[in-house]
Parts: sequence; structure tokens; C-alpha cells
Amino acid sequence: MSGQPQVQRPLHDFAVSFGEKMLAFTRALGGAGLLMHQVLRELFRRPLHVRLLAEQVYFIGVQSLGLIFITSLSTGMVMALQFGLGLEKFGGKLYVPKIVSLSILREMGPVFCSLMLAARIGAGIASEIGSMTVTQQIDAIRALGTSPIKRIVLPRVLGCFIAVPLLCAMGNFFGILGSLIVGVTELGLDPLFYYQKVLATCTITDYVTGIGKTFFFALFISVTACYFGLNVRGGTQGVGSATTRAVVTSSVMILVGDFFLTKLFFILLEK
Amino acid sequence: MAIQGEKNQIAVEFQNFKKRFGTKLVHRDVSFQVRKGECLGLLGGSGAGKSVILRSLIGLEKPDEGQILVDGEDITKMGERDLIEIRKKVAYVFQNGALFDSMSVYENLAYPLRAHTKLNEREIADRVHEQLDEFGLAGNEKIFPANLSGGMQKRVGLARSIILQPKIVLYDEPTAGLDPYNTIRIQEMILRLKSKGVTAIFVTHDMPSVFAVCDRIALLLEGKVSAIGTREELERAPEGKLGRFVTGQEL
Repeated sequence: MSGQPQVQRPLHDFAVSFGEKMLAFTRALGGAGLLMHQVLRELFRRPLHVRLLAEQVYFIGVQSLGLIFITSLSTGMVMALQFGLGLEKFGGKLYVPKIVSLSILREMGPVFCSLMLAARIGAGIASEIGSMTVTQQIDAIRALGTSPIKRIVLPRVLGCFIAVPLLCAMGNFFGILGSLIVGVTELGLDPLFYYQKVLATCTITDYVTGIGKTFFFALFISVTACYFGLNVRGGTQGVGSATTRAVVTSSVMILVGDFFLTKLFFILLEK
Repeated sequence: MAIQGEKNQIAVEFQNFKKRFGTKLVHRDVSFQVRKGECLGLLGGSGAGKSVILRSLIGLEKPDEGQILVDGEDITKMGERDLIEIRKKVAYVFQNGALFDSMSVYENLAYPLRAHTKLNEREIADRVHEQLDEFGLAGNEKIFPANLSGGMQKRVGLARSIILQPKIVLYDEPTAGLDPYNTIRIQEMILRLKSKGVTAIFVTHDMPSVFAVCDRIALLLEGKVSAIGTREELERAPEGKLGRFVTGQEL
């Protein structure tokens, strides 16, 4: 009752909270890096559980097809509409196939698809492994003399590594298809002209630049999700927060990593 | 020679075991031995760190200091790969069974056999059915853990843990929350294993089960083993720490 009035220190509180968040983020990056090291070590040790890998490719790849179809088709359609209506004022409608297809192949397709997959697959992996952690199933795998890295983490990481680039490649196709539909129906462009412009504009370098990044995005999604799942603390509430953190961290890694990977591919392929 | 012979009779030994979680010192100096073929009951209040002792014994936790000897081998310095051999001979029976919920009962029992033996699928099937029969679980092969009762989950967990015929079994509250029928079934299974010469550490708060299956009882208090003795010794000194703990008196 007789205590001194609390001193408000908003700047201090902000600094502390920001520092804690940065520390947690750095710790997660370090933990995910160490996990990746263990995954690489297990990759070259027999046996490789092919059935578990096939299950993950099915779960990650086949079951995400609908999501990728809708996301990519809509993105392509919206981009064609926006560019078409904007450029029409300057008589630049004919450039729509060129601009949209290049944007999709180099950036929008891989990044959008990877962000959607980070939400779907990242959340799925983190919550599944998190639930296994809190119900002691991960401990049971170890207690039975087997490795959770080999049985649980490796199939998911490899599954993502295989499925994410394939899904993004399909996403590119659906995105350009969506833009073509809008180009023809809304902008009045000839479908053959649109198709030929896309083929004439896009080079293999554009395609590789975009798809090449998705191999890294696949690792960002899967390793981060596995790390947060394996390190769940505090029961079911912990599973929820680990899932959220896995999705946020992998999304941030995709967006930040995209800049550096674009730069890297530019140096490697275009200089 | 006599000392060497005595050492050969020790299956598990904790020497000056210390373990801290963050700022909380859980074990300050735990030392005890379990003889081959013996069942040791490990008692202690909630949060005393009984499960930590069991988890450390198969390398799921690393001690901050001290040694844990299994058949004379210090496991505290071992890496995950070396621990595989220890985990094949030391089984851990989890409190809730820790069954793999994406696998059926059959697949759960077949898991350790597929991982550690060269048995073909037919031999694995024979072994699994034999184990399920022994545990009164025949006919439940295709059921998933979520559809089993708590008692059945524990029995399946026990059946899976010991399917590789381990030399040491660690029971983490195997009878907690069970009805008298299932409690007695679990006790019978533990006694059956004991009659085969399996060494055991039995963590529980269930005193009738302790008296039914344990040869000696140890009390974990304030980060140490503060009392250890047989049931007879306990009955002879009811005012000792163990006696007071068992009868629910303040220590």
C-alpha cells in the first residue's frame, strides 16, 4: 500500500522485449542449424526409411495440390487484371504477358507458394511433432533405441525438399494459366499471342532462379517446424505456441532469405 | 575377489548423481545400487525427481555431475549411438504407455523388433501375437491406441517395452490411475518378469503395489536417497523416514 509509485520506462521495456524476441529468434536459428547438421549426418547412415519418406511426399505434396492450385491461379489472375487495367491507360496492355509471367517465374510463384506451404506444412509438422513430444512418443522412440531424427525429422525434411519445388513448379504453371484466362477474358488479348509472348519472354534462367530458391525455402519450412515441434514445452498450450512460432519464423526466413537468394542466383547465373 | 564378485552382482549404480533444471537443483547427491534380479521401489514426493532418475538411466537426461553405471559401464559419457546398446537391454515403461498413436497395437509391438532384430515379417508376427497373448491383449492387434482404455494402453506399453527381452526394466508409475483389476494384472506381469531374473526399478506412489513386487524400497528426499531398506526393515522401524513417508506423516 505504501509502495512507491511505479516508474514508467516505456523505452526500457521496449528494449527488453525487443532484445528477448531477438534472442529467441537467434536461438531458434541456431537450434535449427544444429538440427540440420544432425539431419545431414543421419542422411548418410542406413537404413533410409523409404516408406516413411513416401508417406511424407504424399502428405506434403499431393495433399497440398489443391491449395497451390487455388493460390497460384488467383495470384496470376489478380496480377494480370491489375497490370492490364493499369497499363491500358498508357497503351501498354500488350506487355501484360511479359510482365506477369516474369514476375511469377522469378518471384511471386516461388515466394507465394512457399509462404502458403509454410503455413500448411509448417503448422502440420510442428503440431504433429509437438504432440508427439508432449505425449512422450519422441522419448519412446529414443528409449526403444531408435533415432527421432531418422524416423521423424529426416522423412519430413526430405519430403519437403522433394515436394516443395515440384509444387512451386506447378504453381508457376497455374499462375500463368490464371493470367492467361484473365488476359483473354478481361483484357481481350489473343490466347495464342499471350502464349507466344510468355514463351518468348521467359528463359531457363528465369525459371531456375525462381525454382532454385524453393529448395532453400523447403529447408527453412521443414527444419524450423521440426525444431519447434521437438522443443515444445508446457503441454498442449506449448504445442499451439510452437506451431505459431514455426509458421512465423519460417515465413520470415523465406521473405528475408528471398533477398539474399535472389542476389546469389543473380551472381551465379546472370553475371 | 570378493569385492569383484559383489560388483558383478550390481546391475545399476548411481554415484553422486547431481541434476539441475535451470535454477532448481533437483538432485544434489543421489547414490544407490540395484542388484541383479532385484526390484527396487523408488518413492518420493511429487516433484522429487523420481522420473528424472529413470530417464537418466537410459540417457534421456544427462546428469550435471556423477556417474550412472549399467552392468559396470558408465553411460553418462555415451553419445546417442552408444546408448542404443544400453537401450536394448534397459527398457523404459512410460507412465501413459507413450504408444505411437499413428500405429496400431500390432505395429507398436513390431516396432522394436523391426528396428533391432533380423526377424522376418512372419517371425515378427509370431512374436507379437505371443506377447499379446501373454499380456491378455489377443484380438486387439488392429486397434489404435486412442481406442484403448488407460489400463490396456499401459499393458501394451509394457508389452512393447519388454518385447526385446531386456535385462533391466524401469517402471514409471505403471499402476497410476488404474482400477484394482488392471493394477493386479500389471503387478502379475512385473512379478512374472522378476521370476525370469529381470532387474527392475519401480517408481510409484501405489504402496500396495510396492509391497507386492519390490524387494527393497528407497526414499528420495531433498535431492538424496535418504532411506533405503527391505520391507521387513521398514516394518521394524515405523518411525524412520521411510515408515513416516509410507504412512503419510510429515517428514
